[in-house]
Formats: sequence, C-alpha cells, structure tokens
Amino acid sequence: MTSTAQSGAPRGARRIDGWRWAGRIFLAFMLLYTALPMVWMLLTSIKSGFAAMQFPPQWWPSEPTLASYQKLLDPQNSVGQDFLRFFWNSLFVSTVTTILAVAVAVPAAYAFSRFRFPGRKFLFFAVLLRNMFPAVIFLVPLFILMRWLGLVNTHGSLILTYLTFGLPLAIWLLKGFYDNIPFQLEQAARIDGATRFQAFLYIVMPLSVPGIIATAIYSFIGAWNEYIYAATFLTKNEQLTLPVGIQRFFSENTTDFPGLMAASFMMSVPVVVLFLLLQKYFVRALTEGAVKH
Amino acid sequence: MTILEGPAGAPRKPVIRQPGLLSQMWTARADYLYVLPAIVVMLIVIAYPVYYTIDLSFFKTPPGLQLRDKVFVGTENYTAILSSDVFWKVTLNTVIWTVASTLIAFVLGYASALALHRDFAGRAVLRAILIIPWVISAVAASYIWKWMYHSDFGIIGAVMVQLGLVDRQPNFIDNVHTVLPSLIVVNIWREFPFAMIMIMAGLQTVPEQLLRAARVDGASAWQRFWHVTFPYLSGVSTVTILLLAVANFNSFIVPWITTGGGPSNASHIWITHIYELAFGRQRWGVAAAYSVLLFIIVMSLGYFYVRALSGNERKEDSP
Repeated sequence: MTSTAQSGAPRGARRIDGWRWAGRIFLAFMLLYTALPMVWMLLTSIKSGFAAMQFPPQWWPSEPTLASYQKLLDPQNSVGQDFLRFFWNSLFVSTVTTILAVAVAVPAAYAFSRFRFPGRKFLFFAVLLRNMFPAVIFLVPLFILMRWLGLVNTHGSLILTYLTFGLPLAIWLLKGFYDNIPFQLEQAARIDGATRFQAFLYIVMPLSVPGIIATAIYSFIGAWNEYIYAATFLTKNEQLTLPVGIQRFFSENTTDFPGLMAASFMMSVPVVVLFLLLQKYFVRALTEGAVKH
Repeated sequence: MTILEGPAGAPRKPVIRQPGLLSQMWTARADYLYVLPAIVVMLIVIAYPVYYTIDLSFFKTPPGLQLRDKVFVGTENYTAILSSDVFWKVTLNTVIWTVASTLIAFVLGYASALALHRDFAGRAVLRAILIIPWVISAVAASYIWKWMYHSDFGIIGAVMVQLGLVDRQPNFIDNVHTVLPSLIVVNIWREFPFAMIMIMAGLQTVPEQLLRAARVDGASAWQRFWHVTFPYLSGVSTVTILLLAVANFNSFIVPWITTGGGPSNASHIWITHIYELAFGRQRWGVAAAYSVLLFIIVMSLGYFYVRALSGNERKEDSP
C-alpha cells in the first residue's frame, strides 16, 4: 500500500492493485463506523434493563427479549398508547406534507424550467436561498404567527412550516428533471391541439415521475425527522410527533436504555425502508438535476 | 415571448427593442400562476419572520411572550453580545464544529464514492448500508451515540478499557475537552453519506472516454483521478461543501439532544446557544440580535453558494 502513494513509480499493475486494496480497507473501516452504532442499538434493544447496564458490557445479550418492543407496541399500557399515538401523528404530518409539497413544487419547478417571465432568476434564487436560513431565526416569529393563525398545538402548523422549508430543494430537484425533458415533445402536443396545461399534464408529468418520487422521499424523510419546530409548536402530549415524543418520554425515564434503543429503531424503520426501496430515483434525480454539467 | 423562446440553451435572437418591464410582466401573467403557490407560502413563512426578527433585535423584552411590553433599546443587544465572553467561546466552537464536520464528512464521502465506483460483489448492499445514517432521525442518532458514549456502560469506553488503552471508562461527553470532538464524530457519521451520494452522482457524469484516453496515454490511477476525475467534479464538490457547511452551521439536534450545550458551554454552538437564550432564559431581544448576526454570516456564505450554483447554470445556458 505504501507504494501506492508514490504516483511516479513505474510498475502500473502493482500500483492499481494497491489502490484497490486501499479502497477495500477504507470501505471496511467505513462499514464498521457506519454499522456498529446501528448494531449496538439493535443488540441493546433486545436486552433487559438489567443486562444493558453491566460492566463490562454483555457483547451479545445472554437472554434476548422482545419486552421493550412489546411494551412500546402494546395499546393496553400507557407507554404503548403514547408511542403508537406519536407514530400515527408523525405518519399523518409527513404524509400530508409530502402530498402538498409535490402539488406545489411541480408547477413551480416546471415554470422555472420552461418559462422566461421577468423576475424568474430572482425568484429562483430566493427559493434556493431559503436553504441558507437557520431554523432558529424563524422559531419565535413563526410561533407568534402560528398563534395569530390559531395553529399552535395543531398539526397544521407543522405541515405549513415543513412545506415551506422542504420546497426549495424539491423545486431544485424537479427543475433539473424538467430541463431534461425535450421541449419538442410539448410543442408536438401543442401542434396537435393540446393547450399548454394539457401538454404539461399528459406529456411532461408522466415523464417526470422519477423526479416526483425523489421529491416525495425527500419531503417525507425531512418531515418525519424534524425536531425543532415540533418541539416548539406542540405542547400537548397527544399531538407530539415521534422525535419530540421520544425525547420527552426518555427525559423522564433516563435509564431505560433498551426501551430508548427500541424506540429509536422503530422510529428509523419507516424512513430507512422507504429510502432503500426508492433510492435509485433519488440518486438519479441528483445526477440529472443537481450535478449536471 | 415566453413559450416561443424555448428551453434553456436555445439560441437567443438579438431583440431589436426590449418591451417595457410592465408589458413583459403582463404578457407573462399566466406564467406567474405556476409559481404563485410557492411564492405565497414563502412570503408568509419566510419574509415575515425575517422582518420580525430584525425588528425585535432592537428591543428589550420582558420574559414570557408578552411582547407588547417590549422597550426600544437601540443597538444595546448587539453590544451586549459582542462584549460577552460566552459569545466568543461559542463562536470558536461553531467554527471548529463547522469546519471539522464539513471537511471530514466531505473527504470520507468523496473517498467512499470513489471506492464504491468500481463494481464488485456486494457493492449495492454496502452502498445502502453506508447511506442509512443519513436517513435515520437525528434524534435517534443522538440517542444511539449518547448511549455508546455513556460514562458507565458505554461500549466505546468499554472497548478501550478491554484493549488496555485506558484504565477506566473515559467520560466523553461530560468532559470539556472531549465533548466537541465526540459530537463531531456523531455529526460526521450522519453527514458523510450526503457527500457520498452527491459525488457518486457526479462520478456518473465523468465521460468514460476521457478516462480511457488517459489510460492509453499511460496515466497512473492517481494521475487519472487528479487530472480527469477531480477537475470534472469540482462543480459538484463546491456545491456539496457549501451545502454541508450551511447544514453544519445551522445544526442543532445532535448537540442539543446529547449535551444541551454543556458542560459549561463546551459544546454550545450558535444555534443551540440562541435557542437556549430564547426558550430557556426567555431573552427574546438578545436572541433576535444573535439571529440577525447569524443571518448576516449565513447570507455571506449564501452569496458564494449562489455564485457556485449560477456558475453551473451559466454552463448549462451557454454550452
């Protein structure tokens, strides 16, 4: 491997082999770094509270138990009731946000890609600049705004906020897709008598499905994982979303590490599954939209 | 005017006389309908809060959100911030946090993308596993690492004891010297996959012929990377670094959940500090002034961001 560092060395075949080995060792290291915390989360979640708190730790649980999962998923006991309610709240907020984000981002991205209206450049950068604003700037004024709109302690406040904050990247991703759909397709449809909106609906929309899926994943994951606004706008226990709910719950039960790890695991499952199923669309959207040369 | 001009890249005929702005806008009136929903939502949720924060930063506010009783104090909030020791400590923390997280996450992501570019058995599975930390909730990630750093039962300390590196469990996140690096490790864990995805996407745009030509000309693997791939990815790299830098500068959840900024402000960065000032100590005016300062810094970063993006756009418009 040391020979690989010297690019001037003459023997080509040896050098390429060296890079390959360096790559493998590096990937093995990254795999450990990435996977060990997740493995430890799973192993802890199937221990009893007593087994989790031992020194030296039990590397492998001697008596694996699903008690933590049973407790969290049991609608009869109060912990389970809370957890399931948080779960449904998160699912509701994320799903509605996703649907609205796609509905708003599709026409906007299409317009930014196709039309040349005055102010288009400025508007587009205004949209992108949103990425730059730190959430904290918005907390107090948005809280007051939500109070004024009567939305404090409703899921509407979160949906409105997430929608706005998810839009910039959503529009950016989708614009890249529309840029790549040949304009001639629409022109042909227009010549055949379709209105501009019909051409958009029947020609462009179906072609941009992968971009829409990528946008939807992005919105859903963002909304599912958001913490700071949910912690500020919601105070009633029965409305909390998962990240805030779990944080509130475990700030009272500080030593239930198996329960905490089981809750973290179940909070991660929906977004991880969703992402793994649809990741090819996401990478493709980035390739076509964001990083095109 | 609008639709006939065609997509980006169509040659522009020189216009003899530009119609007035208002008549242009009138001609394009239907186009605005498409962006109207986005603009309305943005105006409500972005423009108003920005105005409000700037306004509030010049007032002394009573605790609680009884903001009707606020008193105008001019720039007093700003001078109070700039002359406090905590401000400079938190600023140093923020710089360390942002620079270290951004650079290391970028380098690890870049290297992972390169190592995963060549096909081998299990590549898809490995790639999927490496992306997962980016997808899972930051709250979950914070709890997982907090548990691994635990001062009595944490696995990292236990491994170090077993290997004989230390005598007793080190206290990673209750120690002013180790807390910030420990949290940066967590942050990088969450963020390097983003850099990896961006670079992986970028690598697909590097033309294969160029690499083959370089190989034919006898370029080594390193030379092919340094003279072909690396320059080709400079645009993506710039955007990725800027996005990471902004995200890190604005990050909140990891330090807030794991330490709450402690011990003795050692892991406070700007955002957590502002949050504590506002919602913990209810000093809304000071927090607003902090936000404005932060806003100015972020806007100057944003200037480079827009420059980098519009650089890409110009390349698209005139190939």
